[in-house]
Amino acid sequence: MAKPIQRLHGDERLSDGPHYFGVRHLSPAGSYHLLALLQEVKPTAVLIEGPSDAGILAEQLTARGVIPPVAMLAYTDRLPVRTLLYPFAEYSPEYQALQWARWNDCQAEFIDLPTEVSLALADVKYDWKPVNDESSQEQPERSVDLYSRIAELSGEPDYEAYWERHFEHHLQTDTYNNAIRHYAEEMRALTEGDEQRLTPRAYAYNEIREAYMRRKIQETIAAGHKPDRIVVVSGAHHTSALSLELPEMTDAELKKLPRVPAKMTLMPYSYYKLSSHSGYGAGNQAPAYFTLLWQCMKQGKMDELPALYLSKVAAQMREQGTWRSTASVIEAVRLADALASMHDGVQPTWKDLRDAATVLFGFGEFSVVAESLARVDIGTTIGSLPEGVSQTPVQDDLNRELKRLKLEKYKTLVAAGLELDLRENRRVKSEEAAYLDLNRSVFLHRLEALGIRFTRKQRVSQTDATWAEHWVLQWSPEAEIETVESTLKGETVELAAAYVIHEELLACSNIADAAKLIRKSCECGLPQVMGQATSSLQALAVDAGSFEQIAETVHELSVLLQYGSIRRIETETLVPILQQLFLRGALMLQDAAGCNDDAAAGMLTAIHAMDAAAGEHHQELDGQLWMTKLKELAERDDRNAKLSGYAFSIVLERNEDGEEDCAREVSRRLSPGIPADIGSGWFEGMSMRNRYALLSRDYLWQQLDAYVQSLEAEPFKRSLVFLRRAFGGFEPREKAAIAELLGDLWGTGAEDTGAALQQPLNEEEKEQLDELNDFDFGDL
Amino acid sequence: MDQKQNVLRLPAEQLYAHELEALKAADKDNVKPTGWQLSPKAVLTFITGGEAGKTVITPKYIGNKRLVEMAIATLLTDRALLLIGEPGTAKSWLSENLTAAIHGDSSKVVQGTAGTSEEHVRYSWNYALLLAQGPSDQALIRSPILRAMEGGGIARFEEISRCAFEVQDALISILSEKTISIPELGREVPAERGFSIIATANTRDRGVNEMSAALKRRFNILVLPAPSSLDTEIDIVRRRVSEISASYELRSSQPDDESVRKVVTIFRELRNGLTLDGKEKVKSPSGVISTAEAISLLTGSMALAGSFGTGELSDDDIAAGLQGAIVKDDTKDQQVWKEYLDNIMKKRGASWRSLYNACTEMNG
Repeated sequence: MAKPIQRLHGDERLSDGPHYFGVRHLSPAGSYHLLALLQEVKPTAVLIEGPSDAGILAEQLTARGVIPPVAMLAYTDRLPVRTLLYPFAEYSPEYQALQWARWNDCQAEFIDLPTEVSLALADVKYDWKPVNDESSQEQPERSVDLYSRIAELSGEPDYEAYWERHFEHHLQTDTYNNAIRHYAEEMRALTEGDEQRLTPRAYAYNEIREAYMRRKIQETIAAGHKPDRIVVVSGAHHTSALSLELPEMTDAELKKLPRVPAKMTLMPYSYYKLSSHSGYGAGNQAPAYFTLLWQCMKQGKMDELPALYLSKVAAQMREQGTWRSTASVIEAVRLADALASMHDGVQPTWKDLRDAATVLFGFGEFSVVAESLARVDIGTTIGSLPEGVSQTPVQDDLNRELKRLKLEKYKTLVAAGLELDLRENRRVKSEEAAYLDLNRSVFLHRLEALGIRFTRKQRVSQTDATWAEHWVLQWSPEAEIETVESTLKGETVELAAAYVIHEELLACSNIADAAKLIRKSCECGLPQVMGQATSSLQALAVDAGSFEQIAETVHELSVLLQYGSIRRIETETLVPILQQLFLRGALMLQDAAGCNDDAAAGMLTAIHAMDAAAGEHHQELDGQLWMTKLKELAERDDRNAKLSGYAFSIVLERNEDGEEDCAREVSRRLSPGIPADIGSGWFEGMSMRNRYALLSRDYLWQQLDAYVQSLEAEPFKRSLVFLRRAFGGFEPREKAAIAELLGDLWGTGAEDTGAALQQPLNEEEKEQLDELNDFDFGDL
Repeated sequence: MDQKQNVLRLPAEQLYAHELEALKAADKDNVKPTGWQLSPKAVLTFITGGEAGKTVITPKYIGNKRLVEMAIATLLTDRALLLIGEPGTAKSWLSENLTAAIHGDSSKVVQGTAGTSEEHVRYSWNYALLLAQGPSDQALIRSPILRAMEGGGIARFEEISRCAFEVQDALISILSEKTISIPELGREVPAERGFSIIATANTRDRGVNEMSAALKRRFNILVLPAPSSLDTEIDIVRRRVSEISASYELRSSQPDDESVRKVVTIFRELRNGLTLDGKEKVKSPSGVISTAEAISLLTGSMALAGSFGTGELSDDDIAAGLQGAIVKDDTKDQQVWKEYLDNIMKKRGASWRSLYNACTEMNG
């Protein structure tokens, strides 16, 4: 069983050189022992592995009000965007070192490659090609294999458990320090050869970093710090390579390093993200557990950790409605202790605790405890940064805007509704106040465009809503992180939103999408982007050949024109496009209407949209042409019958056709010889629009009545079949109205006839109807 | 020795006596919990395999070392251990070997059935003596559990979920108070240190009762999974087959690796309802297709080959075994098996051809 701690003795530190302290990132024990070392050495300078150009960010990390987890994000501000992330939890040794330096009047500095170099090298680093196939197969297995071998040799279930048992639970600083150094040196000696051979680029990258760090250490000494008052904190893997006996990076070498312009920022981070980005070197699958470990360690109550952890799990289960007794917690602690004792451990590891919880709380089933464990292991903690502490320009802008628009109170984790009235508020004096809701709407739309999950727009019952908007606002850590990420798109919310829409515009290939983008840019209050979108729409419109798309676009533009003024956006430029598209649409109507019933559904919406636009913009659009085309469609027999019926109903509605035309049309459409499905399709199309408009036209029903009465028995049966189908879609209320109408018509009194007609069918009638179902259309 | 060899199946402590001796010798200086004959680590070695001095310790339970660790840790805390799992996941096997390693006597067993009564759990009387002398120590018939309590040993309770609720309930107070009171004699028998119970229960079988939450709370429950990988399962099957065939004198050659692999592959695919490469769905038969069945299938086939065949395990012998193991509910299973043969096995190429032919002939 590997037990480095007992095997290693003595302090092998050079007495007059800097103090090297190797850590595993995100290791509580690392923090604990590092603090002890700092207290003992009282250094004047702490040098930490981290981007040396972090500068002010490093100071801000320790500012009042910063609550970890937080992360430093470095990014290139040009395409392709590359990012580097340095997360810190409270128990990160690096974070604790910074803290200590701040409160002990000590200089703290990051000494790793500046991000402009590491970002430039990021592509190069992984872009290696294996020398031959054999080695490429070998490579990925090796390191995994090594760690699982360690776990196996030490009798632990996995490497994390090995690490925790052997490094996180021991509180004697000297032993820890030596153990980790020897461990890292031997690991390095073991893997270096392979690394050099198999991943030469990654190896070279490490060499560069280490040479640079040595240079920075030398610089610190040159600046007047006594070597033995310097503490160097780095990943344990690098410790042995930072010895000053090795050559440092020369000026010439430094100059040769590639650089890309890079920016850095701090961002709040979440334990969830920390855990999902786990991998080697992280030790952070369970950030909340490690926080607990860190707190217990600080208070010298490590032995309370198992009870604390397992009680939390049990409490979590109770909260979710699964009762687990205190007795179970006690037994779980005992089991975990027994597991630890089987490994000669000081106390249970995370793995031991989880397994104990599975046995005692889950009755052997992991699935029972999985959710509670996740809550206790990972938790929902998010970091936060006080205002003013380096934030990305976008975050600053967002907060400024929230304040300006009096939306700050919505920046909570609780969802809250917000009703907006976009119209000018005439009761207030300043313009700012008068358009407050409009500005809010613009701002919220911008956030939505950026994909920041702060806003959810609710549907308003009135479609194409004009002045009313209903939003639900809920802040979340993800929203914060998404905000930071939108830094990559622009410096302010406005610019970033403009960038996003612009990108979408470039990718957009049909006019309907372009029109939506126009609308989106209008909602986002971005007239310039709207101009761009308008011109791309114009370009696309030349080739547009789909009636449905044209109609959809016409609809979007029409809505914009109607309500643009409420958003105080200049929409005049849209009129020519609208005219152009409307004209094209009107001309295409006939051809497009020759379609099957499946396509007709989309066409109905499209015709409706066109017609609505014609009505709304009668000054700008050629309504007369549209009506001519509709009439033509209504009269043609070779188009889709449903669409013809629909067109006819529009014509009827506008009173373009009189009683006579109607009479002729009805008898023509429903005359014997017309296939039932076509006849009923026509009537269906006609009744699909405004049924009240139909109901209010007595002559239509007179015609229908006269037509039905004129039929002989056999044709009557036939027409009954399709009329029945056409009226199938009518609501009872509407059927009642028809019945009453017929009553008036027959002079039998509206109500009596209505009641008589609405009576349920008796058996005999039903039978007759059933016979109709078997009606033979073979002769048609 | 003669007597020993005539026994159909030796208890674990006799079967592996030399291993236990070797472990004891190597384990001399380690601290042992009260009542244990080996240290926890030595118990772990006994179960999962390793070396003790120069003796090789054969692995008894393969594939999930952590589970064994948890079982031993449970017994360290004087909690009772409940092993549950599907049929054929080596629950009893593990319980017997744990008991043999820790206590050295795996014979204190209550074999749970629907007919098990409370007396089997606590104690009963020799009624002749009871009538003649009244309640006395001589007239008392101690249950295995009572004997384990008196000796500070481990009692095993097999198939606990087959017992009626009342009988299960009798365990509750024993487990929490660790005493059995005998009011007739006016005394209580407290458990000595080292006493524990290892129970086993089936999750998926007919005639199984639910266990009460109260009883469940008094056990540390471990769920034994089916072997996680093909290789683990092949390993398990091969080891057990060779052990069993040695003790049964089957006079047949050992199945070759290829046959074991085929049988285990078929079993895994039918059990998971999916081919090993995950590309095709397979119907599962009605019965449980456990590792234990694979083991008994192969030994059965060896018996066939040894007694009626050439002594070489042929595909025909295996086919006969497969037929018996898979087709339990006649028509439906026969259909499932036929579909598997034609859809999956037939397409597997030349190496499977003769087994396929044998199976098809057998399945009719």
